[in-house]
Amino acid sequence: MSSQWRYFAMRVLLMIPVLFLVMTMVFLIMRLGPLDPVSAILGPEAGAGARADIKERLGLNKPLWQQYIDFMWTLISFDLGQSWIIQRGLSTRELVAARAPRTIWLGFWSITLPLFVGVPLGFYAGLNSNSLGDYFASFMGIVWQAMPNFWLGIMLLAVLRQTGPGGQFGFLPNWYELGPTTQSLLGTPDLGFMSIGWLAVIPIPVGFDIWVFLSALKQVAPAAFVLGSALMVTEMRIGRTATLEQVHSNYVETAKAKGLKGRTIVWKHIFRNAMIPMLPVMFSEIGVLIGGSVIIEEVFAINGLGRLFFQAVYQNDMPLAGSLVFVFTIIALLFKILEDFLYTVIDPRVGFEGER
Amino acid sequence: MSTNDTEDDRTLRDRVAENPRPAAVWLAGFAVLILLELGRFADGATNLGIIAELGVAAVVGTAKLIGGNVGSTVADPLGPVVFALTLVLILAGLAGIIRSLIPFSPTKTLDLDVPDARRVLVDRVLVTAALAGLTALLMLTPVGDAVDTGVAAIISGLDAASNLPTITSRELIPNQGHRLPEGGWEGTFLGLSPAVAWFIRVCVVYGYAFLLLYWFWRGYLTYRDHYREADWAPIDDTTNRLRGHPWGQAGLVIVIMFVVMAVWAPALGPVTAEENLYQPYQNEHTYLNDNGELETSAHGTLNIQTRSNGDSNVGPFSYDQYDRWAPFGTNSDGKDLFTFLMYGARTSLVIGLLATGLSAGFALALAMVTAYYRGLVDLVAVIGSDSIQSVPFILLVLLLFVVFREADHPIVSLYDGGILLALILAFTYWPALWRSIRGPSLQIAQAEWIDAAKSFGQRPSVTMRKHMAPYVVIYIIIYASLVLGTIVITTAALSFLGLGINPPTPEWGRMIAEGRSFISTKSWHVATIPGILIVFVVTGFNAFGDALRDAMDVQADVGGEGGGGGA
Repeated sequence: MSSQWRYFAMRVLLMIPVLFLVMTMVFLIMRLGPLDPVSAILGPEAGAGARADIKERLGLNKPLWQQYIDFMWTLISFDLGQSWIIQRGLSTRELVAARAPRTIWLGFWSITLPLFVGVPLGFYAGLNSNSLGDYFASFMGIVWQAMPNFWLGIMLLAVLRQTGPGGQFGFLPNWYELGPTTQSLLGTPDLGFMSIGWLAVIPIPVGFDIWVFLSALKQVAPAAFVLGSALMVTEMRIGRTATLEQVHSNYVETAKAKGLKGRTIVWKHIFRNAMIPMLPVMFSEIGVLIGGSVIIEEVFAINGLGRLFFQAVYQNDMPLAGSLVFVFTIIALLFKILEDFLYTVIDPRVGFEGER
Repeated sequence: MSTNDTEDDRTLRDRVAENPRPAAVWLAGFAVLILLELGRFADGATNLGIIAELGVAAVVGTAKLIGGNVGSTVADPLGPVVFALTLVLILAGLAGIIRSLIPFSPTKTLDLDVPDARRVLVDRVLVTAALAGLTALLMLTPVGDAVDTGVAAIISGLDAASNLPTITSRELIPNQGHRLPEGGWEGTFLGLSPAVAWFIRVCVVYGYAFLLLYWFWRGYLTYRDHYREADWAPIDDTTNRLRGHPWGQAGLVIVIMFVVMAVWAPALGPVTAEENLYQPYQNEHTYLNDNGELETSAHGTLNIQTRSNGDSNVGPFSYDQYDRWAPFGTNSDGKDLFTFLMYGARTSLVIGLLATGLSAGFALALAMVTAYYRGLVDLVAVIGSDSIQSVPFILLVLLLFVVFREADHPIVSLYDGGILLALILAFTYWPALWRSIRGPSLQIAQAEWIDAAKSFGQRPSVTMRKHMAPYVVIYIIIYASLVLGTIVITTAALSFLGLGINPPTPEWGRMIAEGRSFISTKSWHVATIPGILIVFVVTGFNAFGDALRDAMDVQADVGGEGGGGGA
C-alpha cells in the first residue's frame, strides 16, 4: 500500500472518533445543556403528574450513562427518534425521507450551475491574465463572495419579480413565462418527473416527463444559483490559478515549439490539467452548501431538510434537530471522504505537509 | 529597540535627546489632535477609572464576603483572619499576572541571591508583599484618605474636561433644527440646512479619524527614520509591500471606515439612537407645520407618519415631512435607517472582535501546546477540531443558540444575545484558526532554537511564549482578518432568521429581514442598503486580509478564501 493510500485510510479511520464525538456533543448539548426537555414538550405550567409521565416516557429518570448509551444506540441504529412538535408522532426517518429529495435536487443544481459559470470564467481569466477582463472577473468574484447568501437571494427574487410586463426590469425576459410557466418564485419543486416502476424489488425508471423536469429545475434554479455562488467564485479563483500555472509550464512551451495550434494546446493540454485541482475543491465546498441550505431554503420557501432543521430549531423540537445534525454530519463526512479519495486518486503529489 | 544588545548602547531616550526635533514635531501634532477631542478622551479615562474602581471593590468585597461567611459560621475572631488570607490569595493571583507584565525581575533588581529555579516564585512573593503593603497602607492609614481626595480631584477634573466641546461632537455641529416661518433654519450649525450640517459633521468625523491614523503612521515613520537603531528590519519589507498593494489599501480604508462608523456612531447619525430608536416617546422634535406654526411632538408620534413600508415612504437622501434629514431614508417603523445602521456597525464590530479575539487566542495557545508536545495531545486536538468542523457550521451555531435561548439562560440577556452569539462563534471558529496555524507551529517547534531553549532548562510555557508564539502570530492575524468578515455575515444571517441579536440592539441582518417584504415596492432601500454595507465591509476585510498575506510573504494555504460562503 503506497503512502498516499495509507494516509487516506488514516483519514477515513479518523472519521469514526469524529462521528462519535459529534454524537456525544449533541447529547451533551441536549441533555446536559440548560434545556429542560419536559417543559419544552408540556410548557412550563404542566402538572407534576404529566411531567413524571413524560420523564418516564423519554427515559429521563434513568441514570445519565444509560441515557447516553441509549442515545448513542438509537443514532447508530439510525432510529433517529420521533419529532416532538413539528409533526408529533411522525418518525424522523419518515420526515427525512420525505424532505431529502428536495434538498438533494437543490444541492445537485447548486453544484452543477456554477460549473457553467465559474469554470469558463476561471479559464478565461487565467488565459488572459492581467487583462482588463481578468481584473474585472477577479474583482467581481471577490465582491460576489462578500455577499451574504440570504441577501443575494432576496435581491435576486426582487429582480426576477420585476421582469414581468411593467416591472422595473422589464427589459429582461419575463421569468414567469420563460420556459414552463411558474406561478410563484417561492415554493417547493415538484419532483414527480420520473415515474418509477418496480421490477420485483428493484426500482427502475419507466417514464420521464421532460416538462415537469424543466419546471422543477426552473423552480429551484434561482435558489441553486445563490447557494452555489460561493462555489462559483472558488472555482473561478482556483481555475484561474491552475490555468495560469499550466500556461507557464514547460510542456506548453514544448507544445508551442512543436508548432501545435493554440487551440489544441488550450483544450488538449491546459484545460485538462487545470481541471485536476478543481474537482476536490468542489467537494470540499459541500459542507458549506449543506449549511447554506438552511438559510436558502428558508428564503426561497423550499420544504427541504434545511428548512426542516430551521423549523425544528425555531419551534424547539430538539430531538428532531439533534437527529438532523447527525444526518447532516454524516453527509458532510461522506463528502469529506470522497474529497480525500479524489485527492488521492487524482493527484499523487498530494502531500503530507504538516501531517506526520 | 532593545537597550543593550548591539554595539550601540544608547537608549531610545538618549537618541531622542540627541535629535529632539522630529519627535517634538510629532508630539506637538499629537497633542493638538488630542486637545481637539479632549472631552472624548477624558470620558474614556473616566470610564477606565470606573472599571478600575469596580475591580478594586470586587477584590475587597470578595475577601470580605468570604471572611464574613466563615466568621459567622465558625468563630468571630476567625473572620478577619480569613478576610486577610483571602485578600492575600487574590493579591497573589494578581501578582502572578503583574509579574509577567513588568519588564524587570524584582529579585534581580534587588540583587537577591536566589537560584534560578526559584526566581519566579520569589518574584511572585515579592510582588504579593508589595501589593499587600500597598493595600494595608490604603486601608489602614490616613494615606488612603489622601489618595481618595486626590482621586476625587482627578475625577472632577476629568468630568470638567469631558464637558468640553469636541470637534466631532453633535453639539458643535448640530443638525437637528426646524424651519423658520420666515425661511431659513433655527438650531442647526450656522443656520445651514440639516442635510448640509450633517454632511459637514460626517466629513469632520472622518477627517479627524483619518488624520489621527495618519499621524500614528507618521509617528512610526519618524521613529523608523530618526530613532531606530537598525537601518532595516523585516517589518520594513512588509510595509513596503503593503504600499504597493492598492487593492489591500482599499480594503484597509473600508475597514477603517467601518471601525469609525462603530466608534463614532453617536456623532454620525442625524439623530441619536436614544431619541429615535430606544425612547422615541420620551424625546421631542420641533417642526414647522403646514400652517406656518411651530409644533412639537415626540419622535415616536412622528415616526408613525414616516414609515417606509411600501405605502408611505421616506427614501434615501431626503427629508421626511417633519424636516428630519434621513440620509438612508427611514425603516418600516419610521425610524431613521442611517442611525440604526451606524449603531448596527457597532454591534457587528463588538461581536466580531470578541469572537475573533477569543477564538484566535484559544487557537494560538492550543497550537503552542500541540506543537510543543505533539503526539497524543496533537491527535486529540485534531479529532476534537474535526468533530466541531464536521458539523455544518450554521447548524451548530443555530442549535447552540436556540438551546441557550429556550432555557432562558441569563447570558442571553447580555447585549441582547450578542455576548452569547460571540461565545458560540468563538467556539465554532477556533478549529479553523487552529488548523491554519498548526503547520507553521509544528515547523517552528522543530527549530534549533527551541531545542536550545529546552536543553537550557527553560520552562515550556516560557519557550512557547517567547520563542514560538511570535512566529505564528502573523498567520493568525491574517486568518483572523478573513474570519472577521465571515462573522459579520453570520451575525447578520442569524439576526435575519430571527435569532441572534434581539431588538432593540440594532443589527444589520435584522433590518434586511424587516425590509424584505417591501423589496419590490418603493421602500426597496430598507433591505438593500444594509446588504450593500455588509458587502462593502466583508470585501474590505477580505481584501485587507489578502494584502496582509501577500505583504507578510506567507506561503501558507490558509484554507478558506476569505469570508462568505454558507451564510
